[in-house]
Amino acid sequence: MRLTIGLLFLGLSILAKAQETFPQNGASDKDLIMHAFTHCKVHVDWETTIDDATLLIHHGKVVACGQDILIPKGAVVEDLTGLEVYPGFIDLNSSYGMPKVERAPWDPKPQMESLTKGAFGWNQATKPEYDAAHNFVHDADAAKAYREKGFGAVLTHRKDGIIRGTGTVVTLGSNEHLNVILENASANYSFRKGSSRQKYPSSLMGSIALLRQSYYDLDWYYSASDIRETNLSLSAWKSQMDLPQFFDTGNKWDVLRADKIGDEFNTQYIFFGNGDEYQRIADIAATQGALVIPIDYPAAYDVSDPFLARMVGLDELMHWENASRNIAYLVDANIPFAVTSEGTKDAKEFFANLRKAMDHGVDESTLLKALTFTPATLVRAENVLGKLSAGMQANMILCSGPIFEEGTEIYENWIQGERFVLKDRKALDLSGNYNFTLESTMYELKVKGKRGENKGSIQLIDSESGDTTTVDVTINADRDQVNMKFSLKDSHYDGMLRLAGTIHMSSTIWDGKGQAPDGSWFDWVAVKQGIEPSANVDTDEDENGGEEEDISTAQDYEIVYPFMAYGRSHLPEAQTILIRNATIWTCEPEGILEKAELLIRDGKIAAVGRDLNLNLLFPKEVIEPIVIDAKGKHISPGIIDEHSHIAVTRGVNEGSQASSAEVQIGTALNPEDINIYRQLAGGVTCSQLLHGSANPIGGQSALIKLRWGATAEEMLVENAAPFIKFALGENVKQSNWGDYNTVRFPQTRMGVEQVYYDLFLQAAEYDAVWTEYRESLLKITRKQRRQGYEPEAPRRDLELETLAQILRGERFVTCHSYRQDEINMLMHVADSMGFRLNTFTHILEGYKVADKMAKHGAGASSFSDWWAYKYEVRDAIPYNGALLHEQGIVTAFNSDDVEMARRLNQEAAKAVKYGGVSEEEALKFVTLNPAKLLHVDDRMGSIKVGKDADFVIWSDNPLSIYAQVEQTYIDGRCYYSKSADEQQRKAILTERSRLIQKMMNADEKGAKRKPSPKQVRHYHCDSEFDESND
Amino acid sequence: MKKIASVIVLLGLVVSIGVQGQTAPSSAQTESILLLGGTAHLGTGDKIEGAAIGFENGKITFIGSEKNVDPASWDRVVATGGKHIYPGFIAPNSRLGLVEIGAVRATRDYNEVGTFKPHVRSAIAYNADSEITPTVRANGVLIGQITPAGGTISGTSSIMQFDAWNWEDALLVEDDGVHVNWPSVYHKHYDKGKISIEKIKSYDQQLQEIESFFTMSKAYCDYTGKQTDIRLEAMRGLFDGTKHLYVHAHDMKQITEAVSFKKRMGIKTMVIVGGRDSYLVADMLRDNAISVMVQCPHTVPRYEEDDIDLSFKLPKLLQDEGVLFCIENEARMSEINARNIPFLAGTAVSYGLTYEQGVMAVTLSTAKILGIDEFTGSIEMGKDATLFVSEGDALDMRGNDLTHAWIQGRDTDLDTRQKQLYRKYKAKYDAQK
Repeated sequence: MRLTIGLLFLGLSILAKAQETFPQNGASDKDLIMHAFTHCKVHVDWETTIDDATLLIHHGKVVACGQDILIPKGAVVEDLTGLEVYPGFIDLNSSYGMPKVERAPWDPKPQMESLTKGAFGWNQATKPEYDAAHNFVHDADAAKAYREKGFGAVLTHRKDGIIRGTGTVVTLGSNEHLNVILENASANYSFRKGSSRQKYPSSLMGSIALLRQSYYDLDWYYSASDIRETNLSLSAWKSQMDLPQFFDTGNKWDVLRADKIGDEFNTQYIFFGNGDEYQRIADIAATQGALVIPIDYPAAYDVSDPFLARMVGLDELMHWENASRNIAYLVDANIPFAVTSEGTKDAKEFFANLRKAMDHGVDESTLLKALTFTPATLVRAENVLGKLSAGMQANMILCSGPIFEEGTEIYENWIQGERFVLKDRKALDLSGNYNFTLESTMYELKVKGKRGENKGSIQLIDSESGDTTTVDVTINADRDQVNMKFSLKDSHYDGMLRLAGTIHMSSTIWDGKGQAPDGSWFDWVAVKQGIEPSANVDTDEDENGGEEEDISTAQDYEIVYPFMAYGRSHLPEAQTILIRNATIWTCEPEGILEKAELLIRDGKIAAVGRDLNLNLLFPKEVIEPIVIDAKGKHISPGIIDEHSHIAVTRGVNEGSQASSAEVQIGTALNPEDINIYRQLAGGVTCSQLLHGSANPIGGQSALIKLRWGATAEEMLVENAAPFIKFALGENVKQSNWGDYNTVRFPQTRMGVEQVYYDLFLQAAEYDAVWTEYRESLLKITRKQRRQGYEPEAPRRDLELETLAQILRGERFVTCHSYRQDEINMLMHVADSMGFRLNTFTHILEGYKVADKMAKHGAGASSFSDWWAYKYEVRDAIPYNGALLHEQGIVTAFNSDDVEMARRLNQEAAKAVKYGGVSEEEALKFVTLNPAKLLHVDDRMGSIKVGKDADFVIWSDNPLSIYAQVEQTYIDGRCYYSKSADEQQRKAILTERSRLIQKMMNADEKGAKRKPSPKQVRHYHCDSEFDESND
Repeated sequence: MKKIASVIVLLGLVVSIGVQGQTAPSSAQTESILLLGGTAHLGTGDKIEGAAIGFENGKITFIGSEKNVDPASWDRVVATGGKHIYPGFIAPNSRLGLVEIGAVRATRDYNEVGTFKPHVRSAIAYNADSEITPTVRANGVLIGQITPAGGTISGTSSIMQFDAWNWEDALLVEDDGVHVNWPSVYHKHYDKGKISIEKIKSYDQQLQEIESFFTMSKAYCDYTGKQTDIRLEAMRGLFDGTKHLYVHAHDMKQITEAVSFKKRMGIKTMVIVGGRDSYLVADMLRDNAISVMVQCPHTVPRYEEDDIDLSFKLPKLLQDEGVLFCIENEARMSEINARNIPFLAGTAVSYGLTYEQGVMAVTLSTAKILGIDEFTGSIEMGKDATLFVSEGDALDMRGNDLTHAWIQGRDTDLDTRQKQLYRKYKAKYDAQK
């Protein structure tokens, strides 16, 4: 690729005059004349400045720049004394000049296949074949807006789809043929499917799976010998692999998500960020990726209506206050970054926001680097753009002073030697007081205002009364020509006077002719009285927003994790704790221990029992625990929710196909879901996050501990047994989805069975091919190896691979199920295919086939008492749990509901009420039994020495309606305590009030934003959701 | 062990009732009944330990101590020693009987087409043979306000008791009130992939329409022409005090506007249903004598920064401010979850109410708000003998275990189709042993 750049560069330098290949109409312009700018301060690059420099440009490029440059004869020389020259800025996040993305009209019927015509890939959201350079068209209005912000070039691409095709670097001049300076400059990606209405993918996790599968397909397409298909998408994509790879993200978590994909495929993406990176700066830095960040800081909300203001979340208030610190955080963390103007509405906002970053200690050269050198380097155009040294494109900005300083004017933005005037730099500063003589009468003329925007006034003093009146004078000055009009009423004139004339000697003297109200002509002259009001006084007072911004660097703000209500500046630490006098529900054969003790150490349960003797237990160590007297309190293991959908973002169902085994819930976690904290307060320590139930084979599950404040990766339970969600019944056959969803197979229970057989047979065959391949690898002889022989790898298919794991017993199934017939059916499928169904979840008619389930070896995770919400749960009974339990089935109760998960202990108590399960056994329905179902009972689910210190301190018997959680521990760390929660409530109120006051005082220009709180979205199994609509 | 014993008792019933089919309503009380011993929670805020509660001809005729009663003078004495006696719990704002299977359209009868439909009456659509109602009854909920939904004026509710052959039998109060869904102040707004919630542009317009409809309804009270407008006719009771106006509203702004609307319109009795923000305007509600059917305590708070237990403690917050309130349970699947109303009260007790206040929040307070406290809602002399006996604390899952329930003195069957299925399969597995 570097070669291409070089060639392109060479080509342009020879053929500086564009369109050499084009026929000429009229005489030829050979572009002979060179331009020399003298006596200016040139910022050659972000770290180098030359005072009193000469800059030579010719054929759209810099010829030379320095102090002792000989100006060739026949050059146009422009004296830029007092001015500064900067390299033009580069914006990498742009779709400048790209055609508008059109979306097909909405059709209620699901679109199963791609509408893209031709030999392209199967999914409409992947379009690597899209070539930005081929589609680029100069857009005069958009270019002008960029130039006003100081930009000279952009990387532009079409923001549509998951694999988006190439980006091209173009300058912001007026001629496509000159402007495209780097034809193929980037490959671009996102998680959004964009204009595609094809059903797949319909979720974030689906987008991720699609992207991963595409990478594997690409590998295969170029390594397999026997390929039957032609796939133009893949061949186009292949050619982009050596380009810089840009990933457009939606928030800070997306950056981490994308980076993980990059790691899998040996790709370091450059991320289009979002301005919230400071909230997780260490994790962002750990990606080692460069960022392109926006500076479109959120505007203040209109919080004047206290009712409406409640809808503004604390996180939004906090972000409003701190968004301008983002750059300072990036600098501190040594993250390479470029700044994009995307999202800033005009030059004024753009520069004002850059200055806000400077208020937090960011210096000019850092910003300049982020607007020139870094973006140029990221698109490998550092030898073409971003500097003003010899050979570079003549993209340069002429301004009145330091470019980021308030009041500095940008006069001209030159693009490849093409001059674009933003403001007349030769406009005279007319302000001052003048002795203004009309014919022979003297007045005083006061002129105020900015260069080029002067306003005048005449003071009239009544000779008799001495009263002063002020007459406004309209002044129009164009270069050195001036005309004025005003109305006088005195002893000399009565009516409108019009004057025209010339300005001399840097506005010391003006003179000319005027026409009096009576039509007679007269001479006039204005002579400056001396230097009065300063030329550059900015009368625009709200430039600063009138805001008393704290000037502070990144470090002195304390970030809370997560960055929202109930976030904490420090995560809890694992402590050594001895809890005494508690009633401990061990969920072990020891049963319920009265007046017992529990010792927690290094995140594990170190001892449990009555009258623990620490010296005896730990003879070689001195244990000095924090002692908690839990008199009257109960301790239970942490509650484990076998079926949850909290902390999942942008879609819990990838229900677009009958099987979506390739999608992973773990790739779409949102660790900032308040329900994590709320459920901690209900004693939940571990949740299995399941795919929804929209299709027979759903996606891979994620098991998290509710480590509030951690990242998604940190919440995942280490070495958890892999699971996948299956589903049966009305949801998978789309019974309640309306009249249009009658297309996707299956639509009946009969079809559901066949989906399983078909896919498992495919998976078995797939597995056999891979087994054969692996064996052949082992059989390679030394000689073959020396000759470079290698057996050909089969295509990797993430879906079949996952199903094959089930067949091999390496992945467990949790199956959403209601009716006995289909439960029975699936057990037959599993038996015949040689695997065991681990868990039936919901399993509301499990009681009808409990004996068969026991025989098969399946566990059950049920609702305690839900029923009648659809036809298939008409026979659901609250005695289900008790009956299953009595048949020896490992039985759990789950939530599948954000609210119920807060009080699963109460649900467990319903096993006592309905069917008379003992209290001790009932508590296991939400602790040990789900731990068993999830294959984590070796470390969770009971109070046993050596297990994770995940437990709850209750105010009462945990099965009582009156029991409240006092403390919840995970890994020996106190993640929730009632007393700390009380403190946080107060802190939230204080912080919120402070921010609202500050927001009210923020006198920002323009309309403030209307409050728009985050969408509250609670997932259940049935939740269908289209990622593209988010 | 006690549980197993009761299961055996139930198993005994199988024979007499049969596995299939419905439980039959009971006939009117003929013999006088005395509940002797145990704790009687009267619903009034008081309780009697060692209680004796007697009733005849469907009415409560004796309330006292077990020491001061002569059991011999009663036809039937039920030993309730160690047990708990409660007035029947009430499910206000309920869809029971109007829907059987939520996902099956054919069984949904709670939401009629239209915007202003006060003339639509729930009473006649009430399915007295619903299989859901017996499961609710079996946990102590014996009365409900059956309420239509949807539109701006969703219709007219009626109050039914849960042991009836048909809707006519079930009626306690026909057409007790009109329900208004106060327009949402905010709506979801989709723009360029971002979702926001903004004040609804048509909000003012919708208020105008409500105001206009009420103004016409009021004028119609004095209309002497010969024609009839059935919609306006249905509104008449709001102005003479024979019907309550139930305003379903959560947001502070909705509630505030509704209160001033009441004053402006001269509505006699207004009740806020839901009232998520009612605690923020509690003084205003109290001062204007507006009561609240407070939203299901088992609801997650609306805002991230809300106190995490806000929904749990909402009843206590209103109690402290002296607002008359009761607990309702509108939420997802509220009809099946009506059987958990006792535990909603239990939660409110856990989060601040005294125990008897908790009982009151699902009995007498509900009856007062519905305007039926003259004859039911508590264990008081002369009131309907609508009450039940539980083995233990009925507000706790572990204690809620009904042995008897009477509705207007009729001995109510506590069996359910679910219990029948339980017995059926229990017997199957027991036989396999």
